[in-house]
This record gives sequence, C-alpha cells and structure tokens, in this order.
Amino acid sequence: MTERLDKHTLKNGMVLLGEPMETVGSAAFGFMLPAGAALLPEGCCGAGNVITDWLFRGAADKDSRQLSDALDGLGLHRSSSVGSSHIIVAAALEAGNLPQALELYADIILRASLRDEQFELAKQLAIDEVLGLDDDPRQKVMLKLKEQFYPSPLGRSAVGEVSELKALTAEKTRQIIKNNFNLSETIFAVAGKYDFEKLCRQMEKLFGTARQKPLEPVKPGAKSDNYTHINADGAQVHIGLATRTVTPADDGYYNARIAVSVLSGGMSARLFTEIREKRGLCYAIGAQYHSLKEAAGIMCYAGTMPETAQETLDVIMAEFARLGDGISKEEIERAKVGLKSALILQSESSSSRAGAIGSDHYILGRVRSLDEIKEKIEATSVESVMEFLRNNGFGDFTVVTIGPKQVKVE
Amino acid sequence: MQFKKRILSNGLAVVGEVNTTAKSAAVGFFVRTGSRDENHKINGVSHFFEHMLFKGTERLNAFEVNEAFDRTGAQFNAGTSEETTVYYAAVLPEYLIEVTELWTELMRPSLRDEDFNIEKKVIKEEIAMYKDLPSFDVVERCRSLHFDGHPCGNSVLGSEESIDNLTAEQMHEYFAERYAPNNMALACAGNFSWDRICSVAESRCSSWQMQTVARKLEHCDGSKKKSRIEKPNLAREHICLISPAVAATDPRRFAALLLATIIGDDVGSRFFWGLVDAALAEAAVMQFGAMDGTGAFYSYIRCSSEDVPKVLDTVNGIFGSLAKNGISESEMRTAKNKILSALVIKNELPMGRLHDLGFNWLYLEQYRSVEDDINAIKAVTVDEINSLIEQFKPGCFTQLSIGPAKTP
Repeated sequence: MTERLDKHTLKNGMVLLGEPMETVGSAAFGFMLPAGAALLPEGCCGAGNVITDWLFRGAADKDSRQLSDALDGLGLHRSSSVGSSHIIVAAALEAGNLPQALELYADIILRASLRDEQFELAKQLAIDEVLGLDDDPRQKVMLKLKEQFYPSPLGRSAVGEVSELKALTAEKTRQIIKNNFNLSETIFAVAGKYDFEKLCRQMEKLFGTARQKPLEPVKPGAKSDNYTHINADGAQVHIGLATRTVTPADDGYYNARIAVSVLSGGMSARLFTEIREKRGLCYAIGAQYHSLKEAAGIMCYAGTMPETAQETLDVIMAEFARLGDGISKEEIERAKVGLKSALILQSESSSSRAGAIGSDHYILGRVRSLDEIKEKIEATSVESVMEFLRNNGFGDFTVVTIGPKQVKVE
Repeated sequence: MQFKKRILSNGLAVVGEVNTTAKSAAVGFFVRTGSRDENHKINGVSHFFEHMLFKGTERLNAFEVNEAFDRTGAQFNAGTSEETTVYYAAVLPEYLIEVTELWTELMRPSLRDEDFNIEKKVIKEEIAMYKDLPSFDVVERCRSLHFDGHPCGNSVLGSEESIDNLTAEQMHEYFAERYAPNNMALACAGNFSWDRICSVAESRCSSWQMQTVARKLEHCDGSKKKSRIEKPNLAREHICLISPAVAATDPRRFAALLLATIIGDDVGSRFFWGLVDAALAEAAVMQFGAMDGTGAFYSYIRCSSEDVPKVLDTVNGIFGSLAKNGISESEMRTAKNKILSALVIKNELPMGRLHDLGFNWLYLEQYRSVEDDINAIKAVTVDEINSLIEQFKPGCFTQLSIGPAKTP
C-alpha cells in the first residue's frame, strides 16, 4: 500500500491532514473542534448536542433554510458527533463540490448566527434526545457505562442531563463556542479526491484567524462506582461491562487489540462461542476496544432475559479471566487476519479514512500508515500477547445494567 | 466496470461486476424468500433458517463454520426481510474463492436437532431485544396493521409462540421448497476473477435440484386503520404511518424514492422543516420500500405524548399541501442531488455495489450500472412525482403509535 499523507499547518496552528484516494469520486472531510463533552464547563452536560444543532440554524447572510438548501444543493451528507474531546462536524460529497462546501463550513464554524429563538428549539431537541434514551436501553447502557468507567469528566455523556440542559442559556452556550472553537487546536482531515495545494490556499483564506491561547487541559478525577443498576420494566436485562486497557500510544497496543479480537473479533471468538453458540444466552453479545487520548477500555455489551442475566455476566467475566490461561496459535492467526482485513476494507471508504487520520493525529501526534499498522499486527505472537496479559491483565470491571433485575458483581 | 452473467442449467443465476481497481471483493447469495412466503403455522421460519444456515453441514459443525469464516478475515452477515434472505461477505481479493466455496457449502445445511434447539433460545432473545426497541416494534406492528392479511404483513421474527411450536421437520420442508437454485442468485462485486467464480458455482451448485417455486403477487392498498398501543414503561410516543406505493419493478420507483426524500429525508425535507426544525418531534423520516408486486411509504416519528395532536396536525397539513399544490422544481432538484451523491458514495465500496447488483437481479432479472440509476433519477420530472401523489394519496395512511399510558 502506498498511500500518501498530506499535511499542512495554517499560520494560526490549525492542522490540515489529507489522504488522497485514487479510485474514488468522493471527498469526505471533518473538522475536529476541541469542544467535546469533557472540555465543557461544569453544569453544561449536553451542550455539545445543542451546539451541533444550533450551528446549522443559519450562518453569515443565510438563514436556517437558505443554509440547509445550500448544503443539500451540493448533495452533501452531513454528520456531527460529540465525543469526549471533540465536536466533529463532518461531511461526504462528490469531490467537485468540495470548495463550495468548505466556504459554507467556514460560515458555520466562524459565523453561525446563533439566534436566541433558534437556541430554544435546539435545546428542546437535545432534551428530547435525553428523554428518548429511556426507550433505547441498549444505547443508554453503553453511554452510562462510559460515564462510570472513565475517570470524570472523560466519560461524560455527550447526550447530557435534562436538568443541566434546562438550565443552559444561549449566552452561556455562545461563550462555550467562543472559547472552545479554538482554531489553533482544531484538526481538519480530508480523504478521497482533492487538490491539496488549492485546498491549503483556500483554507488559509477561510480559516486564517489570529492564533488563539491554548485551552486548559482536562484534569481527570475519580472513577465512579463499580456497579450501577437502573431499574426498567423491559423484556431484557441490558448489560454493559468495561475494563481498563492501554491506549494506542502504548507499546502493548497491538497485543491488546489482538486480545480483544480473540475475545470478540468474529463469530469464532470466545464470547460468541461460549455465550451464544454453546449456551444460547444472548442474541447480541460483543466486546470492542475503545480509546480516548488519556485512557482506554474494552467495552462489552450483552442483552439477555432476566432469568439468564446472572449466568451471562458470570460467563463474560470468566472469559476475560480465561484469556490469561492461554491462547492458541490459530486464535491469534484468525485475530490477525480479521484486524488486517478490517483495516483494508475500511480504507476503501473516504469517510472512514478522514476519521482515522484525524483521530491518529490527535491521539498519537502523527498519522500511522496502513503498512505500519499491518506490520505491527503481523509482529504479534502468542508469546507477545500472553506477556502483555501477564503485565496488563483484565480485571476491576465496571458494570452497568438496565432492566427488571439486578445482577451480583463479584 | 464489466458486467458478467451466467445461468446454470438448474436455473441458478451467477452475476458479477468486476472492478479491478478495488482493494476488496464482496460475494453474496440472494434468495427470493422471506416472511411473506410463510403461513401462520411456520411464521418466523425464514429468519430462523437464516440462523440455522450457519450451524453447519455434514462436514462442518457450527464452530468449524465460524472458524472457517474468521480464517478469511471476512466481514460477513445475513439478513431476512419480508421477501428476501441475503447472505454476504466482504474480503480481501485473495480470500474470495475460499469464502465463496464456504457459502456454497452452507447453502445445503444439515439442520441438526441439537443446534435447532439451542438456536431457538437465541431467536427468542432476539425477539425480546426488539420488544425493548419501540422504534423497531412500532414499524413491525404497523406493517401488520397496514397489510391486514396480505402476506407482506407477516412478522419476520415470528412470535415466541410460533418459534416455540416450529419443528425441524417444518424447516426442512420450507428449505426444500424455497432454497431452490432457480429461486436465488449468486452475486459478486469488486476485484475478482469471473472465470474462477463461475467454476466454483458450476462445480458446487450444479447438483442442486430445480423446483417449482411460487409467490402470490398482489398489490395492497392498505387497511388505513388507526390504532394506539399503551406501554407504561415508555418515555416517548413512537408513531408509524404507512401508505401504498409502487412495486420494485415499476419504472416509477425512482419518482417514489424522490418523493419520500422530499417528504421525509432526515434533513431539509418537509417533515424536517415542519416537525424537527420546529422541535415538535425529535425524529421524523419517510422511506420508500419497494416490494415484489406492491410497495409502501413508511414514516416514523418520535415525539412527546403531549405533542401528538400538534404533530399529527402538522403531518396532515404537509400531506394536504402536497395533495393541493404538489412539489416544487427546486425541491426536486435538491432531492436529486442528495440521492445522486449518496448513490455514488455507496457504490464506491464493493459491498455497496453487491447489494444493488443482487437485488436488481432478484427483482428485475436485469443488470443496472450505477450510471443507469443515475440517469433514471435525473430523468424524473415534477409531473411524474405529482401524479404519484395523486394516485397513491400518501396522506391516507395506516397509523399505529406506541406510547406511555395517558394521564387521565
């Protein structure tokens, strides 16, 4: 693989990253703005969701409708997300319309109208989203799990809290945007078809503001309780379970990824085999690696009927423990093939690549090439993974359940 | 892009679109069978069978099947709907033959009793999971209210009761009839060798026996019934609206797709401006579902129970104004831009291409390039969309809502 990485830093410090893809006609881009949930002032939980809606309700000389028509007119597919560290506003479109799209995004990020009456509507929708979570226990349990698992405020819910949203004012939210849309700490990533030289010139013109002062870094505090149960009258108990592991910056990272794959990489992985294939306890069961810059974890979900909830949790925990007893060469080989193939399959999508290079730059301070990742996956072995597990064994579980029945966490 | 086709003597269609610049390849079996092909005694069997297919053959047990897939690094899955069952995988080109051989082997499963009994538990967990997802539950129940006896209203998952009562023998009978080679297609997209795929198909699928397979096709105007279900544990009102539309074979399907986008795309549509932008509902979307012999427009809206009257007034206002004034030229242009760019982006991935390739063969027995679809969408006129509104009256719908108990 001979992918190229384009990189340029604007005078104010904003980083532009690009990965050209020869066979596609699309371009995908994302602005990573340092306004994630963990960076919000106390008492503003959920403000990120209000902001991502409010931003699109008019900018520069366009009202909400004109702005929306202009974006849709470019055939642009927008997405916004609020993470722990960033608000990401992203889009994918036919490459020819990229310059016009960037002009509109400069208006949205730098010159959003942020009118009071529009704020109330954005806030109402954010509150409704929190309320709607009660009707989606599977999503709710994983949000709650991250909140409990990561040292506060790293896992703070991006969806927010109703009481804090109700108290949020337009003035306060404008202030957050002003402080946290700090271009000197913003990363812009693009992948697909584009002309990098032209793009850099255009971006300097559109985003070349004065350099801004660095933001205060997050100071993680204590971790919450190990077990939380939310009583709800549903058909299943939804179980979320997390345990600490290393971040991508750690030397053991690829061993950790292989260990997670042995546990839950494919249908032959241990959790699926033991819980679904042998015992028929769950339909949905799986564990995934999840990382922030400061901390990382393995996040596991299982949904099962109340009478089998305890057994399901016990088997999951036993499987985490059993990893330390040994892993076969075949399991390691399947985990390697799975990770490598997922990497290459994702590399065909411009949106995935734009997301991956931006996240690499933020977490590692550099972008890994696909070849580097492949080589490091290749270099793992039964011995290296077992050695890793000896030094970084999985334990100290954080568990959250939602449903009609509690479980006992040993 | 090169299109390839071969029909084996037993009727199995093998279709492929070769793109030598792709980094991966995707392969799938597309079977013309789903819950509409069931009767109430065996309701849920299509979906249950889809699970059982992974349980192995005379040669492989379930664990060996899973290992065989994972050795290829495949991203694979299967899905069952009212009228199709699809099995697919995306892999690096060097693994395509191996994964195709595996699928061909699995298409003749052994359906062992012990696997059947364990998997029953998994299916019942899946039914329970969807009960806890009212946004899914409401659409499933509304479909049954709308189709009201028409087979397209059959539940895909079945009920706990129908799954409990299902026997392995009934599943064998269902399989023998529905998984005939002349009722399915093997499709392949991306970077692969057509000749090698054909020789896999010839050597491994030629012995499958052709059958007489029938499906009753009938258009359904829908019951237009209105109903509400109370569930005390819910926080929000989940509303589903269904009205009739054109079938998958109808040339007007592109106009129907544009109409659904104009009314209910997640941003910039009439629903968006009337309901979401105004914060009356947090979700309001419409989709066009083209089916065999019939079709439907599905809308899903989520809001607070107190706002339901205002939401429905707004919805009726939107449909009323569409019936009276039709759509505008600029609305259509915007919808075309959105659909065209989504089409291009989706088809950049072999997996995206595979689905269009397979479904076009299943429904139309036709190859359509991405350009064919782009041109068909570009050619739709305002008049064509307006005459769809006139004929199908999307404002006359079946309505089901699921929400919390009403305060007296």
